[in-house]
Amino acid sequence: MSPIFRKLSGVGFAVVMLVVLLVLNIALNPARFQPSGWGTLLGLAAPLIGAAIASAPVILAGRGGIDISVGPLMGFVNALVIQVLFLNLGISSPWIIVPAALLVGAAVGAANGVLATIVRIQPIVATLGTYLILTGITLTILPAPIGPAPDWLKAMSGPLSVLPLALIGLCWLLICRTPYHDLLMAVGSDDRAAYTAGVPVTKVRLTAYVLTGLFAAAAGLMLTSLIGSADPNIGATYTLIAIAAVALGGVSLAGGRGGLGGAAIGAIDIFLLQSLLTTFNVSTYVLQIAYGLILVVAVVLTALQERFSTRKGRP
Amino acid sequence: MTRNWFQSTNARIAGAFAMALLLQIVGTLLIPGYSAPFAIRALLVIASLLAVASIGQTLVVILGGIDLSIPFVIGFANVVAAQLYGQGWNFALVCILVGILAIAIGALNGLIARGLNIHPLIVTLGIGMIVQGAVLLWTGGFPSGSAPEAVSSFVSIGGSVGPLPVPLLVPCLVVLTALIVLVLARTPYGRRLYAVGSNPEAAPLALIDPLLMWVVTYAASAFFAAVAGVLLLGFTGSAYGDVGQPYLFQTIAAVVVGGAALVGGRGSYLGTIAGVLVLTEINTLLIGLGFRPSTVQAALGLVILLLVSLYGRERHVRTTI
Repeated sequence: MSPIFRKLSGVGFAVVMLVVLLVLNIALNPARFQPSGWGTLLGLAAPLIGAAIASAPVILAGRGGIDISVGPLMGFVNALVIQVLFLNLGISSPWIIVPAALLVGAAVGAANGVLATIVRIQPIVATLGTYLILTGITLTILPAPIGPAPDWLKAMSGPLSVLPLALIGLCWLLICRTPYHDLLMAVGSDDRAAYTAGVPVTKVRLTAYVLTGLFAAAAGLMLTSLIGSADPNIGATYTLIAIAAVALGGVSLAGGRGGLGGAAIGAIDIFLLQSLLTTFNVSTYVLQIAYGLILVVAVVLTALQERFSTRKGRP
Repeated sequence: MTRNWFQSTNARIAGAFAMALLLQIVGTLLIPGYSAPFAIRALLVIASLLAVASIGQTLVVILGGIDLSIPFVIGFANVVAAQLYGQGWNFALVCILVGILAIAIGALNGLIARGLNIHPLIVTLGIGMIVQGAVLLWTGGFPSGSAPEAVSSFVSIGGSVGPLPVPLLVPCLVVLTALIVLVLARTPYGRRLYAVGSNPEAAPLALIDPLLMWVVTYAASAFFAAVAGVLLLGFTGSAYGDVGQPYLFQTIAAVVVGGAALVGGRGSYLGTIAGVLVLTEINTLLIGLGFRPSTVQAALGLVILLLVSLYGRERHVRTTI
């Protein structure tokens, strides 16, 4: 089996779902899904794609690695950029806002990483702590939604949102070329074996948390450009959906299997699903049932496919 | 020997209880009336409700899983019980129906998660969303109905049982706690629960059926969530579909502050009770000190991190080889 094919079979179901959902969407809602509208659609999906990509590195690092503070971090970056940097300090230059946001993200990620790997608090609890802290701070600096966003940031919401996503993709491709990617996968699949083989397990995991924080800050910027304002309550809603997208994209929640590409495809699946369900014009309640149902069915089918393919692979 | 005791689960539980006591003393010193009978009664009732909601999370965490469907099942039981009672059903019948439906939901969680080896985080989230959507669809988003008098007085802060100045809920919870501790320590089910949690691969070799354990434990989790939902109906007086939402992370936090490991095989319900007391104390103390809810939330996160880093640390990978 060629390595590319092996990689694809991991996310196989997500890709099939992507194609099916895309065809259905185009057939049922040609006006919204005409080629000229794809840029806008990408802009709408960008924060979720970013959140899913951000959630992936710590999950890949294994041993219960998970970051539920991704959503609140996006909300925090959103509030920080608009309320503190733009409105209070009057800074609108992208050359200050973007590095500042990324720096904050990396710092929060590093704090999560220290808590989870050096203080050795279980990751879901460590990031639950930061989840609560970030939500609290966000609501303190920004009690109610406020606007507007700097013009350049609002301009990034449409077709241009491909730019940050491409940059993240490039970033990940470069990481895949370094030994770090292999170390991450080794730690994620079996940290004890990796440790015995001399892999600096703690450092590798800590770096994964920093990457997650960095990508989450980027997702926060994408969110800001999409809504063109600041909203203290919107960020936290991304957390669980992003983790669902990661699982849908063939990333094992036990660690060591999958990649950021799969996570992105999972997120696009969820976005297309939402948009498909909306075209049926059903009540939001039915939408939620269908949404939960398809999520469960999708992971069940992924599991069945995986079980089938591993059985076939055995001698 | 001493060192071993400090690393044991018992030490974690003792630490959590000591922390709750310390917070109570700090509160009494800082806020006038913090230890007044009414304040303590309110604290006990609020803590008891969280304790009931956390029973299932404790069992599931010992098993090595996690249950995110608890808040949705709480909301489901809350709304369905009020709605059916409001339509003139017998309340005992309503409770039985809600209990059976909750058990079915939980069993489905366990069956899918274990049977197909899918992470319970995703399964319980998906099932929970379906449950919530179904409830919203049924009520049209505006639940009606109310709680029967019996349930309201069962959880009422002003209630009393004979000479005890607490509502019946509190002594009932004490009995329930004793029962759960007994079941976990002295019955085959309890021993099997810890066995599957500590080593899922070895458990089948000891003739334990992991699938059955997962189905039964998740069913129990959903059942106790439903109980919490009905009790909350009595506490708040009217149905509200999102009443369970604060319990999503609070149950996990309580279980972990109580010394359980999320990888499974370790934890106890007594520890969860201690965790529940700590969380309720912190919340009451901070609100009593006049912090805004958003600040309380941030401080709660900070305190959870501090507490867990004091006595809830995991082993380094080098010591697991």
